[in-house]
Amino acid sequence: MLLNFDRLGGWKWALIAITGLTSAFLILPIIFIAALSFGSSQWLIFPPPGWTLKWYAMFFADPRWLEAAGTSFYIAAIVTVLSVLIGMVASFGLVRGRFIGKEGLRALFLTPMILPVVVLAVALYAFFLRVGLNGTVTGFVIAHLVVALPFSILSITNALEGFDRSIEDAAVLCGASPLEAKIRVTLPSIRHGPFSAAVFSFLTSWDEVVLAIFMASPTLQTLPVKIWATLRQDLTPVIAAASTLLIVVTIALMLLVALLRKGLKS
Amino acid sequence: MNFALTLPALLLLVVFFILPVLSLLLRSVLEPEPGLGNYAALLGSTTYLKIFLNTFVVSALVTVVTLAIGFPVAWALAIMPSRLSSVVFSILLLSMWTNLLTRTYAWMVLLQRTGVINKTLMGLGLISEPLPLVNNLTGVTIGMTYIMLPFIILPLYGVIRKIDPAILQAAALCGATRWQALTRILIPLAAPGMVSGALMVFVMSLGYFVTPSLLGGTANMMLAELIAQFVQSLVNWGMGGAAALVLLVVTLTLYAVQLRLFGTARMEGR
Repeated sequence: MLLNFDRLGGWKWALIAITGLTSAFLILPIIFIAALSFGSSQWLIFPPPGWTLKWYAMFFADPRWLEAAGTSFYIAAIVTVLSVLIGMVASFGLVRGRFIGKEGLRALFLTPMILPVVVLAVALYAFFLRVGLNGTVTGFVIAHLVVALPFSILSITNALEGFDRSIEDAAVLCGASPLEAKIRVTLPSIRHGPFSAAVFSFLTSWDEVVLAIFMASPTLQTLPVKIWATLRQDLTPVIAAASTLLIVVTIALMLLVALLRKGLKS
Repeated sequence: MNFALTLPALLLLVVFFILPVLSLLLRSVLEPEPGLGNYAALLGSTTYLKIFLNTFVVSALVTVVTLAIGFPVAWALAIMPSRLSSVVFSILLLSMWTNLLTRTYAWMVLLQRTGVINKTLMGLGLISEPLPLVNNLTGVTIGMTYIMLPFIILPLYGVIRKIDPAILQAAALCGATRWQALTRILIPLAAPGMVSGALMVFVMSLGYFVTPSLLGGTANMMLAELIAQFVQSLVNWGMGGAAALVLLVVTLTLYAVQLRLFGTARMEGR
């Protein structure tokens, strides 16, 4: 009875109400920010007294915002490529390999996901201070890669485990070299794995705040760091505009995932 | 041969994860002088103890609130017609993937003295003075609950979906009322998911940095911010390392508990 939606009686409406309210609670602040980014009031009054694009104009006119967005994109792109490559190679090793401590190694690869990011941030910051990597693209890429790689390994090992290896063996029997069989047979069939790995890695780096706050320098910062620094001074609607741009990128990537997932399934 | 394939990832992890963290922890017992002085200072001061306490209080509060809201939502999601539930799922995912700072910024704007919430309440005549909703425990709790809700709804949804409806049918046939079925069958069957989800939210909240430092006041600092402050403003690596170790030990212990109880530790989130 409790697991049949239509037989819940009055409880059905209570559940619908709380689900509706929770959904509103989750989505409204995001819509609110997007709306305010077009509002003409500097004091973020809602509903806005009028509509304007001036906050976007200010965003695009300020080289520091643009530079931060460019840096974010650049770093996320490098992280994505490295994360998928290293993750893919490691996943083959983990899924296909037979060696002692394999399960332990696999768990180890996922630990950056459970460790509080602030601990990693502080530890890397100390290390980078010694080797001079703070405030460099390399430093950012390394830091973001450490937290992106677990997502990558998780996605690709999952896909690889669902793949029937005998198909790859069949290709080898038909004359393909083992590497050729992997590239031309295995990889296309597990492509949803590296694909989600790429999306997760990109978004992880693109959205990363805590590590970035520690890795940034006055001359090199990502968009979240720029937002963070601006937020500490005031709540200017330019942040709403920047945030809306971040949301648009996120939604675009989510739609891409949904579309490709559909395409990959068929 | 196959082991060699894991070497690039392993090298990255050892050099840029394990060694830096170990070195930070080592500094907590070596700087400024060898010994446990930093830990004594950390545990002997009421200021720091207050921060520990506050971290636990906020995390516990957030856990209870997310559980109370998350259970009915997960339940509804598990049994709703799929057209409805897919809308709710999209909202959950969108909210999860929206930048943390964007979501926190939204609450800073919404909760401020002249924000929409205060204005609406005053407009309705419910209050005459703006409520202090931000830079205090209320602000942190709202902001953190907002961030953590998806992390409890998703695992609970998984657990409730797996419950066999026949068990509840049997209960109905045996004369159980709806309330009895809820408290004696559904909730106990979903309990493992609730405990595991709650543990996860609690652990994640303990280490949160961005949301508490923007929505909380100076009076209710949390542990992550203390660590950042030791390192960034005070340049006290010994104390920073010691505070990091405390956070690390609590986190890993709770994950070990989860692993022990449920076999798997769910690893998500930041």
